[in-house]
Amino acid sequence: MAHMEYNVPSERWPAHPETATMEGKNKFVGFWIFLAGETALFASLFATYLALKDSVPSDDHLLAADLFALPLAFVMTMFLLTSSLTSVYAVYHMRNNNFAKMQLWLGITVLLGLGFLALEIYEFIEYTHLGHTFRSSAFGSAFYFLLGTHGFHVVIGLVWITLLIIRNAKRGLSVYTAAKVNTAALYWHFIDVVWVFIFTIVYLLGVL
Amino acid sequence: MAEIKQEPMSKKKLEYVRRERTKEMRQQVVSFGLMIFFTFIAFGMVAMDIDASFVIPVVIGLAFVQVILQFFYFMHMKDKGHEFAKLFMMTGMFFALSFIVTFIYIVWIGSPI
Repeated sequence: MAHMEYNVPSERWPAHPETATMEGKNKFVGFWIFLAGETALFASLFATYLALKDSVPSDDHLLAADLFALPLAFVMTMFLLTSSLTSVYAVYHMRNNNFAKMQLWLGITVLLGLGFLALEIYEFIEYTHLGHTFRSSAFGSAFYFLLGTHGFHVVIGLVWITLLIIRNAKRGLSVYTAAKVNTAALYWHFIDVVWVFIFTIVYLLGVL
Repeated sequence: MAEIKQEPMSKKKLEYVRRERTKEMRQQVVSFGLMIFFTFIAFGMVAMDIDASFVIPVVIGLAFVQVILQFFYFMHMKDKGHEFAKLFMMTGMFFALSFIVTFIYIVWIGSPI
């Protein structure tokens, strides 16, 4: 029966529930291959940004140093970094077979991610008002494509984790759902990894 | 579908597994503290107007340290069974580095071949 193994007691809960099944193992390996591909994808966008970051058609177009505000980037970084820690807590409780706390920490992760997303949307609107748009310059295109792809990943991650919370609310924790939670957590960490390079290369080196 | 081939653990074993997890959690909280600390340093250095030729390598170095902490502790790459994950990520990073070196070379340094 499909649902026979749900809600197992802690003595029968494996030390690594996320890779306790063949499906879980496959997901784990497959997802790391996917993340390696994502690394190459983001690298091409970073390379484009580094190549085009000073390319504007005329002097009245704003460049990175005129646009970026460090405090905003700092707050966004804190949101995403903290949400990475909260998803670590979720995985910790998943491994300890504590379903309620896992759901709680996944929920907090989503809230922090939403905070990050709200700030990014605010930032983009602000820049658009200043004349820095996707079509205004090569710098604009490279900037919005890099940050937009990352923001899109954040949206996917938020939808993914929210759906997991809702979908698992009734069926609880099992080696089947544990693998799903672990994969989503890996994805969320990877989003934070990409952001570390974005705040360093785009924002910090941009205002320097 | 999901099947567990798990024999029931003894109480002692269960306690041991839990203790190991708590230990791991402590490492993760420490690495989170380090990441926050590195972020503060990186932003602080840029805000303080220190010489750019010094700040750029340090800030990029801090980013790499943060990412290593993220991979090894938050994404559990330090645990065994992550050999393939490491191989894939190394491959991904090889491509990443070659893209960036190529683009910077073509656009900023090299003359057209």
